[in-house]
Amino acid sequence: MASTEQDEEGCLQTEYLVPDWVRVRRESFGLLFYDTRSTRLTFVRSGLVLSPPPFTGPRRALLVDAVTGSRRAALSRLLRSLVAKGLIVASETQ
Amino acid sequence: MPPRLSNTPLRAPVNVTWEITEACNLRCSHCLSAELRAQRRGELDLAQCRTVIDELATMEVFQVNFGGGEPFLRDDFLDILRYAHAQGITTCVSTNGTVLSDALVDELLRMAPVYLQVSLDGACPETNDAIRGRGTFHRILAGIELLAERRYPDFSLNMVVTRPNVGEIAEFDRLARRYGAKTRLSRFRPSGGGCNTWEDYHLTRSQLVELSSFLGEHQEILTGDSFFALTPDSRRALGLNMCGAAKMTCAVAPDGGVYPCAFLSDPAFLAGDVTAEPLAAIFESSPVFKRFREIEIESCRSCDRFSICQGGCPAVAYFLTDSVGRPDPECLRAAVPAKEVA
Repeated sequence: MASTEQDEEGCLQTEYLVPDWVRVRRESFGLLFYDTRSTRLTFVRSGLVLSPPPFTGPRRALLVDAVTGSRRAALSRLLRSLVAKGLIVASETQ
Repeated sequence: MPPRLSNTPLRAPVNVTWEITEACNLRCSHCLSAELRAQRRGELDLAQCRTVIDELATMEVFQVNFGGGEPFLRDDFLDILRYAHAQGITTCVSTNGTVLSDALVDELLRMAPVYLQVSLDGACPETNDAIRGRGTFHRILAGIELLAERRYPDFSLNMVVTRPNVGEIAEFDRLARRYGAKTRLSRFRPSGGGCNTWEDYHLTRSQLVELSSFLGEHQEILTGDSFFALTPDSRRALGLNMCGAAKMTCAVAPDGGVYPCAFLSDPAFLAGDVTAEPLAAIFESSPVFKRFREIEIESCRSCDRFSICQGGCPAVAYFLTDSVGRPDPECLRAAVPAKEVA
């Protein structure tokens, strides 16, 4: 398997948590993130592929649906960008 | 071009402005809430406030911006803040700063981050006191000093930009920096007490153009309630520069009345009452909100700035032209030719 595919595979098999300082809710286009540290909003066109955890509470995991084909690469890129923005973190238990 | 996601209807507000009390110890001449206060319609009690917060949490509203009146004059206001935080809601409080004390600031520091906006309407006593009342500049500054001494992490000094103080913006910004605060400039609108002072306070065309240019050069300056109609293209990436009333935000008055925004707390825009029906139902189904969401300012559609401001502030249009469907009367394009605004 080529390294980019391995990266993609790893990215999609990781569990992602929503940190304490982030709120996220479902909207018609996908997810709407709110960073309490900056009050900045992030609109994410993710359809039904990503499901938000409860608004508050411990260990809030983002649910990632299985996707195939070209959508896998797009989803992998999206997850990486959310990690880069600090809106989700890769779970250390994986 | 696909529609911007920020234009997509949301299932709940992102933030709610909540005028939590009518009580105030100042009588500012441009006060947005002066009319409401004069009507003495009463305010929600603590149990009712908790019910509203429960609804906000169920709706997954991210942030509540508390204002008034002076919120800290409510005896139970800290309880209200604590309850909101316990439901995961971020809070921002607009205060006149005069009632801040050592004990109050220490208590706020112990809570989840509470964003504080301290209102000050000039960089010197003469200017501020003419608007907010004699002696208030030094009283407000005393409150700001308490925050600065404790290195309060999230506070801004907010100036409503008017003709008397527009020349002091740079000095105001320096003053804020001196205290470790951010600078926030808010738009003066002809609502509430602003109706009576509009002629004396509203900016001239050339001042509007200068302000737009200043904002373009100082991207770090916050403009929370957006000068949509003035926003220079260079600030476009900083946030949502269009009116979010009834779409991304709404306002709750002290008595529980719900309006599209705090600047439209007018009987014509009363959408519902949180003591009579759930806020979610009002937000979703109120005829007032539905009508508001359908406003299309046709005369602005051909303007090259339409994608930036979407026609500007309906509240300013309403109070100056009697229609929310008219272009913002302070439109920058109307002030100068296209080539000079970019």
